[in-house]
Amino acid sequence: MTTQERLQQAAELLAPWTKSTATPEDVRLDVVIDAADLGAAVAALHGARWGYLTAITGLDDGPDAGGLQALYHFIGGAAVVTLRVSLPYDNPTVPSVCGVLASASFFERELAEMFGVTVVDTPNPDRLFLPEDWPDGAYPLRKDYTDVPAPQAD
Amino acid sequence: MTQPIEKIETPKGERFIIPIGPQHPALKEPGHFEFTVDGETVKDATVRLGYVHRGIEKATESRNYIQNLYLLERICGICSHTHAMTYSLGVEKLAGVEAPPRAQAIRVIVAELERIHSHMLWLGVAAHEAGFDTLFMYSWRDRETVMDLLELLSGNRVNYSANVLGGVKFDITPEQAGDVLKGLDFLEGRNRHYLDVVSNDALLLGRIRGVGVMTQADAERLGAIGPTARASGVALDVRIDAPYIAYKDFQPALITETAGDLEARFKVRVREIEESIRLIRLLLEHLPEGELVARMPRRIPAGEAISRVEAPRGEAFYFIKSNGTDTPARVKVRTPTIFNMATVLSLAKGLQLADMPMILVGIDPCFSCNDRMVTVREAERAETWTWNELREHGIKVYQR
Repeated sequence: MTTQERLQQAAELLAPWTKSTATPEDVRLDVVIDAADLGAAVAALHGARWGYLTAITGLDDGPDAGGLQALYHFIGGAAVVTLRVSLPYDNPTVPSVCGVLASASFFERELAEMFGVTVVDTPNPDRLFLPEDWPDGAYPLRKDYTDVPAPQAD
Repeated sequence: MTQPIEKIETPKGERFIIPIGPQHPALKEPGHFEFTVDGETVKDATVRLGYVHRGIEKATESRNYIQNLYLLERICGICSHTHAMTYSLGVEKLAGVEAPPRAQAIRVIVAELERIHSHMLWLGVAAHEAGFDTLFMYSWRDRETVMDLLELLSGNRVNYSANVLGGVKFDITPEQAGDVLKGLDFLEGRNRHYLDVVSNDALLLGRIRGVGVMTQADAERLGAIGPTARASGVALDVRIDAPYIAYKDFQPALITETAGDLEARFKVRVREIEESIRLIRLLLEHLPEGELVARMPRRIPAGEAISRVEAPRGEAFYFIKSNGTDTPARVKVRTPTIFNMATVLSLAKGLQLADMPMILVGIDPCFSCNDRMVTVREAERAETWTWNELREHGIKVYQR
């Protein structure tokens, strides 16, 4: 199957939940969906054995641009399909996809601790990278977390 | 009158939890594992990461694109070139710039030399964990050859700093190419010997054949990548599936094994060294003429780029978002080990405690230190082991 056919197949599989699409690069397809549809969309890709989940990227675009995003990147050969979910600052919540993809557990834990996104029903909600004594409610990869030492030359 | 000796009874079915780690000095990824054991059999395994989480992703947001190149190269001391290259490829995509052909070829040559040194490092570590220190000594002695070649080209043994945004920093002269070819001839001969050892040495095979088997279906389900996946017959290699830079013209062969055990993981890596040697020779022979650097804008146009590179341990994935300034809005880094770590947790179940060092090492999680603390917890009693003692335990069990 060529890369374009793969992308076409993914677009068809995701059509029931697609709100809009973009093609930032000719091997990529970005599909905007609702957080509530995430489980069904991931199950559709998985059911058709379309590629694998390579990463979940958290994004904080700042309050002006509408808040947080969670990006689920799937890889099939050279094709990259990204499921894009917008999340409000006020109680950002996504459903866990671990029921379908067990390998997503680490990524969900990272998303939760770094961006303060609640991942509902994730099998292990413990911290993965941050220390045990990290303060609650401090999410380091959010833009409003500024407790970062400035770069210094020695 | 003597006191009656209290009889100590071990409650039936009680399980002990054995924590391993997190101290692994000199490694990029210390991890704390806890194995729940019933006698000698591992029943469950968990991992806690982040002991050296340095906040690099956050730090990229307060540095410009050029500063970030040097920061990201330091994510890993083994595959430093991989990180610098994956980042450069992403930024170049955003800027709409392509590195000149000669720069692309030099990037691939350094990447393949890095793969050779990484795989040889692993071979030594894995041999050591198996108690086969002769192989460890030989492979690390021979690995010096490839380290010398990297130093010859770049001036550095690690963090070669080969990449600049838009190209590479140094050229390869015909004299240097000659020295590299000479070094490769030596390595090829040694590598043939290693393939013989890992295929035929009865003592080593006793530790690796049929141990830690991961079927192809399991590898796909658990999300294994890189040599760990290829040893289970999964056809996955970014260099082949989504060729980048000079890999478009110089394709490596896909190296897979079907057994899915530790032996297969040894063989895949040793055979990949052979393939890397072939590829470097081919590139040196057909090194394109021309510039080393394409001109890059200082401000990177707004947009999002994804770049993927086959690191020695599997796919490295970068997501870079630019807001049109000289500083990225977000750099997301997904390294291969986090992917393969999940396979360890699953593989461990049902195996012997004595096999754990080899199972951990089997995925090549950048483990090269031997002084990790192990605490054996037995109800109220706690006993502290070093990683060395766990390793000795493994070797002793197999000496019986």
